Amino acid sequence: MNRRQLLQGAGILLTGGSTLDREAEASSQSERRVLITSGETELAQVIADHLSRDRGVRLTGLTAVPSRFPFTACQLDHDSATDELVQGVEAIVHVAEPPSGAGDREQIDHLTRRTYNLARAAVDAGVDRLLFLSTLELMTGYDEDFLVSERWRPLPTTRPSVLARHLGEYTCREFAREQKLQVIVLRLGKVVKAAAVKGQAADPLWVEEREVAQAVAGALDAKLSDHAQGVGRWRIFNVQSEFPGSRFPVSNAKGALGYRPWFKP
Amino acid sequence: MKVLIIGATGYLGPHVVKALEDHHQLLLTDIKPPKENTPHPFQRVDVSSMEQVQRAAEGMDAILNLSVLREHRRIAFDVNALGCYNIMRAAVDHGIRRVINTGPHFTITGPLYEGIDHGITPDVPPHPSTILYALTKSLGQEICRVFSQHHDVYVLDYLFYNFRDPKQVKRGSGGVPFIVSWDDAGEAFRLGLEIELDRLPSRCEIFFICADMPQGKFLNEKTRRVLGFKPKDDLAYLWRRP
Repeated sequence: MNRRQLLQGAGILLTGGSTLDREAEASSQSERRVLITSGETELAQVIADHLSRDRGVRLTGLTAVPSRFPFTACQLDHDSATDELVQGVEAIVHVAEPPSGAGDREQIDHLTRRTYNLARAAVDAGVDRLLFLSTLELMTGYDEDFLVSERWRPLPTTRPSVLARHLGEYTCREFAREQKLQVIVLRLGKVVKAAAVKGQAADPLWVEEREVAQAVAGALDAKLSDHAQGVGRWRIFNVQSEFPGSRFPVSNAKGALGYRPWFKP
Repeated sequence: MKVLIIGATGYLGPHVVKALEDHHQLLLTDIKPPKENTPHPFQRVDVSSMEQVQRAAEGMDAILNLSVLREHRRIAFDVNALGCYNIMRAAVDHGIRRVINTGPHFTITGPLYEGIDHGITPDVPPHPSTILYALTKSLGQEICRVFSQHHDVYVLDYLFYNFRDPKQVKRGSGGVPFIVSWDDAGEAFRLGLEIELDRLPSRCEIFFICADMPQGKFLNEKTRRVLGFKPKDDLAYLWRRP
C-alpha cells in the first residue's frame, strides 16, 4: 500500500485535491520561488499577492517592513548578503524602485550599481530569469500619433527617474547579451490603483497595478524562444492599460505573455 | 580657453597637461595632488561629488574627464557612471558647451566586437559586456550622450586601449591592436579643444584614439577625418620582425 492509498483508507482525502496533491503543489511552489525587490512598495506587495497563488514568494527591500511574505532587508551591495538573497530562486522580479525621496545620485546608484550587484549574484546562483520593471516614459519623446512598439529606440530624458531606468535597462541588457540571464523588461505606464483614480481624467499612460501583476505572472510563465525575433535572451514588452486614448500598443504583451488588460478609466 | 581637467594626476593626465599648457589656461583636479611641482592651479576634486565638481566647473569653458576607477565595485560606479552625471550636470548649469570624456575601447566595442570583427569603427551600438570597468564607463558615456541630446553641450568621447612610449618599445614585441603614443594621445586633446563645435557631425561623437594599426581591427579613420588627427608616432614596428 502506498502513501496515497494509506491516506485514502484513513479518510483523509480532501475535496478538491488530495493531501498528496497539496504536498506536491507545495513542493512545486517551493521549487518555483520568486524574489521580488523593492518589497516596501505597494506595487511589490500587489505583485507578491498575485504570484503567491502558484509560487513561493520572497520579498526584499532596503528596509524591512511588515509583510505576510518572507521579507529580507538587503542593501543589494557587493557582499554575501546579496549572494544569499538569491540562493534557491528561480526568477527575480526587479521592481527597482529607489527609496522615496531619493536624490539624483541615489536614484542612479539604485538602478545601476544595485541592479548590477543583483544580476551578478543571480548569475552566480544560477537564476534563470530576471524581470526588470522599467518605464514607458522612455518612449514618450516620439510624436503621440506614432504607434511605438518595443523595437523603437528609447529616448530617455535627463530627469533622474527616467534616466536611471534607462541605465537600469542598459545594465541588464549586457547580462542578456552574454547569455548569462534571460532578461524580460516590462516597460510600465504610470501605475495607478483603480479605486484611487476613479472619476479622474484618464492619463494616456495609466496602468492598473493588478494589470502589472498579471503581466509579471505572464512574463514568469512565458516560454520565450531564444530565437524569437532573433533577440536571444532579451525581451521587452509595453505594459499599460488599453482604452480609447491609451498611448502605447500592448499587442506583443498580449500575444507572448497572455496579458489581458481590463482597466477602463 | 579655461579648461578643467578632472583626473589630471593619473596615467594620462600629465601627458594631456603637457600637450595643452602652452595653449590653454588649465585647472588641474584629482583626488591626489600632482607628484611634481606644476605651474597650474590644483584643486582636490572627487568626481563622484556633485558639489566639488560644480565648484571646480565655475568659469570654465571646457571639461576634460580623465578620471577612472577599474576594480572596486562601488567606487567604479561612483567614479565612472555618477562622475559623468556630475560633470554633465555641472556643464549644463555653468553653460559649458564642450566636454571631452574618456574611457577604454570596450566602453563601446567590447569583447563581442574585438574577439570577432575587423574594421571596427566607434559608431556602432555599444556592447560593453558585463565587465565592471567596461560597463560602468559605458554607463557614463551613455549619460553624456543623453545629456547632449537635451542640452546645448557637445561631448567628444575619446576611447583608448593601450599607451606606449615609442622610445621604450622593441621592434617585434607586439601588443593589442589599438595603441597610441602618450604624445599623440595628448595631441588629440589639443585638437578636441580647437575644433569648432559646429563642425562636429552631432553633439555626441566617439573617437578611437590610436595610431595607424596594421591589423585593420580598430580604425582611426574618423579621428583623422573629423579632428584632423595625424599620429606622428608610427607603432607598426611593434609587429615587424626584429
